[in-house]
This record gives sequence, structure tokens and C-alpha cells, in this order.
Amino acid sequence: MDDLLTDFIAETRETLEALAGEIVAWEADPADKARLDAIFRFVHTVKGSCGFLDLPRLGNLSHAAEDCLAEVRSGNRIPDAALVSAVLAIIDRIGELTDALEANETLPEGEDEFLIAALAKGGNAPAPVEEAAVAKINVLPAATPTRAVSRSIRLPVELLDRMMAGVSDMVLARNELSRLLRTTGNGNATDVAFERLSLCVGEMRDAITRTRMARIEALFSALPRMVRDLSAELGKTVRLEVDGGDVELDREMIEMIRDPLTHIVRNALDHGIEKPEERKAAGKPEIGRLRIGARQSANQILIEVSDDGRGIDGDRVVRKAISAGVVTTEQAAAMSWSRKLDLIFEPGLSTAEQVTGVSGRGVGMDVVRANIERIGGTVDIESNPGQGLRLSLRVPLTLTIIPALTVSTKGTLFAIPRSAIDELVRPKGDQVRLERIGGEQVVFIRGKRLPVVDLGRFMGLTDAVEPSLLVVLRAGGGERYALGVEAVHDHEELVVKPAAPALMASGIYAGTTLPDNSRPMLLLDVAGIAAAANVGRDQEAIEEEPVEQKKAKAALPTLMFRDLDGVMRGVRLSLVERIEDVAIESVVETGGVQMLPLQDKLTRLHSVSALPASERLRVLRLSDGQNALAYAIDQVADVVDVRAELAPSPVAGPIAGVVLHEGNPIELLDPFWLFTHSVTMPANDDSPLCLVADAEDPWAREVLAPLLGAAGYRVAFAGEPNNDRVSVIVTTAAAIPEGIDAPVVRLRGTPDQAGDESIYRYDRDGLLSALRRHVAGGK
Amino acid sequence: MALYLIARIDQEVVALPATEIGSVVEVDQIAAVPRVPGHVAGLFALRSRVLTVIDTRASLELGAIDRAAAMTAVIVEHEGHSYALLVDEVEDVIEAGAPDSCPALLPPSWRRAAKGTIRRGEEAILLIDPAVVVAGPEPLAA
Repeated sequence: MDDLLTDFIAETRETLEALAGEIVAWEADPADKARLDAIFRFVHTVKGSCGFLDLPRLGNLSHAAEDCLAEVRSGNRIPDAALVSAVLAIIDRIGELTDALEANETLPEGEDEFLIAALAKGGNAPAPVEEAAVAKINVLPAATPTRAVSRSIRLPVELLDRMMAGVSDMVLARNELSRLLRTTGNGNATDVAFERLSLCVGEMRDAITRTRMARIEALFSALPRMVRDLSAELGKTVRLEVDGGDVELDREMIEMIRDPLTHIVRNALDHGIEKPEERKAAGKPEIGRLRIGARQSANQILIEVSDDGRGIDGDRVVRKAISAGVVTTEQAAAMSWSRKLDLIFEPGLSTAEQVTGVSGRGVGMDVVRANIERIGGTVDIESNPGQGLRLSLRVPLTLTIIPALTVSTKGTLFAIPRSAIDELVRPKGDQVRLERIGGEQVVFIRGKRLPVVDLGRFMGLTDAVEPSLLVVLRAGGGERYALGVEAVHDHEELVVKPAAPALMASGIYAGTTLPDNSRPMLLLDVAGIAAAANVGRDQEAIEEEPVEQKKAKAALPTLMFRDLDGVMRGVRLSLVERIEDVAIESVVETGGVQMLPLQDKLTRLHSVSALPASERLRVLRLSDGQNALAYAIDQVADVVDVRAELAPSPVAGPIAGVVLHEGNPIELLDPFWLFTHSVTMPANDDSPLCLVADAEDPWAREVLAPLLGAAGYRVAFAGEPNNDRVSVIVTTAAAIPEGIDAPVVRLRGTPDQAGDESIYRYDRDGLLSALRRHVAGGK
Repeated sequence: MALYLIARIDQEVVALPATEIGSVVEVDQIAAVPRVPGHVAGLFALRSRVLTVIDTRASLELGAIDRAAAMTAVIVEHEGHSYALLVDEVEDVIEAGAPDSCPALLPPSWRRAAKGTIRRGEEAILLIDPAVVVAGPEPLAA
């Protein structure tokens, strides 16, 4: 409260001084509209501040004067000499009371009424009472005790900025001097004098920095009144606890936080804390509790607002978000609790079922977060439905001095605010792996996948290079990404100034700064880069289980998609090389199979049903590292972790089986089947020759031979002219051709054990491994 | 009578109102700024002030300035920010009367920035509005 009061006193006194001339002029010419307006503005301001600061006496006086002057302004009253004196008397009285406030004295009460009464009189009947009152005031100023010397003054911020700039100049000059002294080499005395100068400059810099600081109390002191009025209006009983008002913060910063904080408190009262009867029914004390606290942690100020109201139900937020079209059902299903809560920061989402007069007037939590992020802060939310809600605002100490890390790529330096940095990592080893997924660079850091933005490439400084260092950044809203840089330099406190509009418009810079080396540098806007580089919020860090974990438990990242037949299916993400849209007319159909030209090569296109009658087709490009195939889909839904075990499909086909994901059975594609039916291993002259004994058997010709061919064997049938060495003979019923020295693989027609070495003819794996064994053994 | 600074931009002699000019400096090291409009040449530190360097030629859509040759800059303040306008050369500061209206036939790139003409002896010199130079080329109409 002290700070506010001091401000008020200083402001009132300053205006009074400026007003003195106006008052005299108005007295001389009461019809002067401009003077009247100036005086009206003054009493109006005083009245406003008094209501706020709880100064009833000043409030009554200024209110009466304002009413009276309003009548004059609207022409309902003619300002006569008596009225002018009465108004002047009140203004004098305001001055006296202000002085008394500062000196911490109380003026005798009772006389105020006379002054007010003097105003209220009819314009044309100067009563004796009025005379008396006027007389009295005329005496009073003389009786005023000598005013205590004020220790508080108001300064324009501009002047402070100039002082700051002056000191910065001095620091630079000092640095230059220091360099010169080092090169020329001087006597001890010069060094000592220089040291002293350095110290003074440093101290002065600190002092000027501190002039911008004020206690956060200035922000908190308005809250008790607001909470009282609001809770009365809403029919709620709330106990407010305020803590940490002595924390110091940049004055400008305090102004920037004022609106967001007010909004949060309004929300807590309106939507958070329940009505007494509701609270009673829920077994909570009837009086709601609202706690607001501030504390300094490192170079940030943490402001926490917590209440014991009904909290926010993440699932309800999600339902709203889905109906508002902010997220899809599939995305919502994959969201963690904290992601769900984060949705309240999305534009256009208010959890209030109905708009009340108190909150929900179009300014949502999205604006709160935007405001806080604009000053380099973050907002976090914790909710315990039925128990309460806690919002944590983290803001930097000051707008102008930011602890920052300098990084560079190709010799160009940039600064990154420390508050946005999570960690620095070097892409090396198993813990930090750089990979490309669908053309985009990603990094796995201890199992977490993050998108990578390469600073050099982003800024157009270099072509794609493997970044040597990664700075993991928080872009706000829990979203993280890694910024690839070439080198990391210093950690320093930088004086940051807003950059020119043309630079700020790019959205990727937060300001300019001038480090001690006199080379201007830009401060990066971490959230802006995320937006510009399209590091979407959907690309949420995907958990990849550590490699050491047992396979059975491993969560496999799976891409979920809606297939052409409308069924939700999944495919292991690691197989998906990219998702792309192709022109449907580029699909070629030959011999009953669809082929798609991808990168100048015809690739087999699988589809579960007929291709849609649209122009574009969305395909998943799957790759096993060597071979590629395309799979036509309707649309991609999400990427989820599937931990459940696969229930294998009884028949071989494109579907490997079914897994349960969050209670829903999801069919998984069988990459093995897909690849075996897409890849024709080019059988060349060096391929092992496989002789099929059953030359007349249609099964051998139609089923076995293509399988062997696909597996990379040359196939020959018994009885055909053949000069090459046979590597292996396959037979079902036919006799083994004589005169050929090669191992024999026998197939049988039934799955039951036959007691010999024969292989069931549909046991593809068994057959192929037997072939491999024999071919390898024969060499 | 008012004071005008006479400079050359793209070989054209132009005048700038001296009241809007802070100083004239030699610009040595310009720190590049990626991903910003082309007329922003970079940043330059004048003591503890960071100036945004404007390539006047690019700003007037006359091509890009020859960075190696043009290192003289006119410092102007605009909306609370300091800018260094790169010019070929600063010739003079002269006193002249109130500007006349622009000649009717001006190339389009100059028409946008021209505020009128002032007279130096017999010669008519184009008066340039620094604010237009700072703002840069107009975005193409969508």
C-alpha cells in the first residue's frame, strides 16, 4: 500500500502545482471552459484514486466538487464567485489533506462538511454559512504545519531510459579504455584508478537498473477490494491470502501483469470457487480460499494463484475443444491430462457454461497466456477437479535485462533467453540421436522425440548440416523443440531493447541487444521461431521406451489412420518413411496390381479397397530400409504408443493382427506380408537355382514358384532343359530327378507333424529358412 | 528558410529535412539480420545505440546498394527507433525556402518518397521523406 500511496501523493501534489495557475485564471474568468475542464479532470482523478486507496475524506471532497463542476460544465449552473471560492477551498483542502497524509498526521475532521455545504448551495444565494466556510479555509492554510520534505518523486520513463543508455555508453567506453590500457601497458597507479572507475560505473548501472524496480505490492494491493466486491456480487464468501508483496519487479513489468492477474482472479472467483451451499454439500468449508503469492526463484518471479474451488475438469475441456473443432477426437484420445488442461489456453475455449458479468467477456485464457508470453514469461496450470486449481505465472525480473545464452551459426550470433532453455545436448551416442522421419529432422533425447529446427538453415545462412549442438527450448504451452546450432558462446545478462518494427514483424526476434563487444545482436523469439518453422503443437514429444526395456513391454509408436474402407488401422511408425499426396491418375494398374511411380521407380501400391474417386490420393510410404511400398489411406489420425500385445490374425494377409488401444481394437498392418507381396528380389544369373520337381502340379507352378521367385531364387522345373548347377531341389509328391546332386527339401500337404524332415507347404518361413540353410550348406 | 541535408542516393541528388536528422556517420560493421524485408540491411551500433540500417536503394526499389562503396549513413529517428539510411554520399547542408510541389513526371520509385522540391541556386532538388524510406517498399497488393 505504501508505494501506491506515495505515488498518489506525489501525483496529486504535482498536479496541484501545475493547476495553481489554472485556478487563478479560472477565478478571474469563471466562464473559461478550458480551465474548468482542467480542474474537473483533477478532482475526477483524485476521486478515482481515493476510492481505490480507501481515503474517504478526500473521496467525499473530490466527489462533491466533481458533481458541482459537472453541473457547471453541462450549463445547469452558472459559476459565480461563491461557487468558484467553494471549489477552490476544496482544492486547497485536498492539498492540505495530501500533505497531512504524507506527514502521517490527521487533520481535524468536521470542517469538510462546511466546504461541501458551500458547494451545494443554490447558485444565487450566498448564505452566511458559506461565507463562514470560505473564511475558515482562508485561515487554514496559514495554520498548516511545515510540510515534511518529500523523498519520493515521479520521473518520466523516458528519462530513466536515457540514464540507462548513458550508463551503457559508459560501460562501452570503459571497455574500450580497458583494452587500450592492456595494450599500452601502464603503471600501477593508472590501473588502480581505472579499477575504481570500473567499480563506480558498475554500481551506477545497478542503481539505475533498480530505479525501474517496484514492489509487487503495487499489483497486489488492489486485490482485497476487488475480491471483496466480486464475491459479494456473486454471493460467495472468499478469504484472500496475499503473500510476498515485497518481491521487487520492473515497474513496466508490473503493469504488463496487472490485466492477466486480474483476469485469473476473476476467473477463480467466478468459475472456481463454489457458492457456500455447494461447498457445504461437497464437504468443504463454506468459506472459499484464494491464495496469491509471489516469490523470486533464480532470475524469475513466480506468481501463484491457487483456490480450493471446483478446479477444471480436463475431460470437460476436451469435450468442449472437440465440439469447438479445436482438436479432433483422435488427437484428444492421445492427450495427457496436462495437455488437456492446456487446451483452456486455446483461443475460443471458455470452460464457463454461461457468460457472466464478471468473467467470460471475450477475454479468455488465451489472451492471458499471450500477454505473459509476450514479456518472456510462462503460464502453467495444475488442476485437481473438485479440489482446486493452481495457476503459476513465471515472468522475468525485468523487461530490459534478460539473462541470455549466445549461440552462433556461420559466424552470426543470436541470443536466446535463458528462461526458454531446457538443456543443451550434443547429438552423440544412444541417448541423443538425430534422425530423419518423413524428411523432417527429429532428435530422440533419452527416448523423447523432439522436432529439430536448424538455426543455420532456418535463417538461410547455410544448407542443411548436422548441427553440432542442440538447444532444447520451451516454446510455451509445454511445446518443446530443439534448435540446432553450430556453437554456444556466453551466458550473459543482456540489455534488450525492442527492435525496429520491420524486424519485429518477422515474428522471430524479441529485440536487439548490444553486448560488451559492441556488435549488435538479435534476441530470438523462441515461440515465434516454433511458429515460423511450423513446429506444430501436434508434434507432441513422443515417448520412445528406453532400449534396455524388455521387448514385451515396449511401447511401439504407431501411426493410426483411417483406411479407405473407413476402418481405423495402425502401422508401426518406424516403417513410415513419409505421408504424401499423389495424383490418382499416376497410379498404374498392371496385371491386377497397382503401381505408383515414386522417385522414378514404380512402387507397389496396396489398397484395402477400390481407390476413391477423387483427384488426389493420400499414401503412406513404407520402407524397410531397402524396399519401399505405398499404402493408400483416407487420412492420418494420430501417432500413439501401443503397448498391448498383438493378437495375430489367423490368415496371412495385409493385417498382421489386432491390438487393443484404449479399449478399442485396432488392426495393425503386416509389414512382412506387404513387403513380400511388393518386393521382387531381382533374380539374376548368380541367384541360386531352385529346381521344382513337381513340374505338372499347378500348385507348384502357381503358388510355390512365385514365392520362390519373390524370395530371390531362380526357378526351374524338372524336365526342362537346364545347364546350370541346381542349388536345391523342392518336391512335394514327385520323384526327385536323377543325376542332380543337390540337397532336397520335401514339402507335405498337411500341417500335422509327419515324423520326417518335411515342411508343411504353407509354412513359408520354414520353407524359406530350409532353402537358405541348404543353399548355404551347398556352397 | 529551413535547413536541408543534401545527399546522393542512386546517383540522384536529394534533400532531407535537417530537423529530422540526428547525425551523419560512417558505418563500418553491419550485423546481418536474416529473414527480414530486403531493405533492412542489418544492425549497426553507434556507441550504445543499436541502429537499424536501411538500404535506401532497396527501399526505393532501385536495386540494392553497393555495400562496399556506400558506407555513409544519415541517422534519423522514426517512431521511437533510430535508423541509419545508407547513402552514396552526403554533399552539403543548405538553407532553402519552403518546398515546391513535385514535378509531375517522376519515376514511380521516387514518387512515393518525394515530398516536393527545394531550390539550390538554379537547381531543383527532390525532397525525400525519411519515414517513407524507413518503411520500405510497399507490400504488393494482394
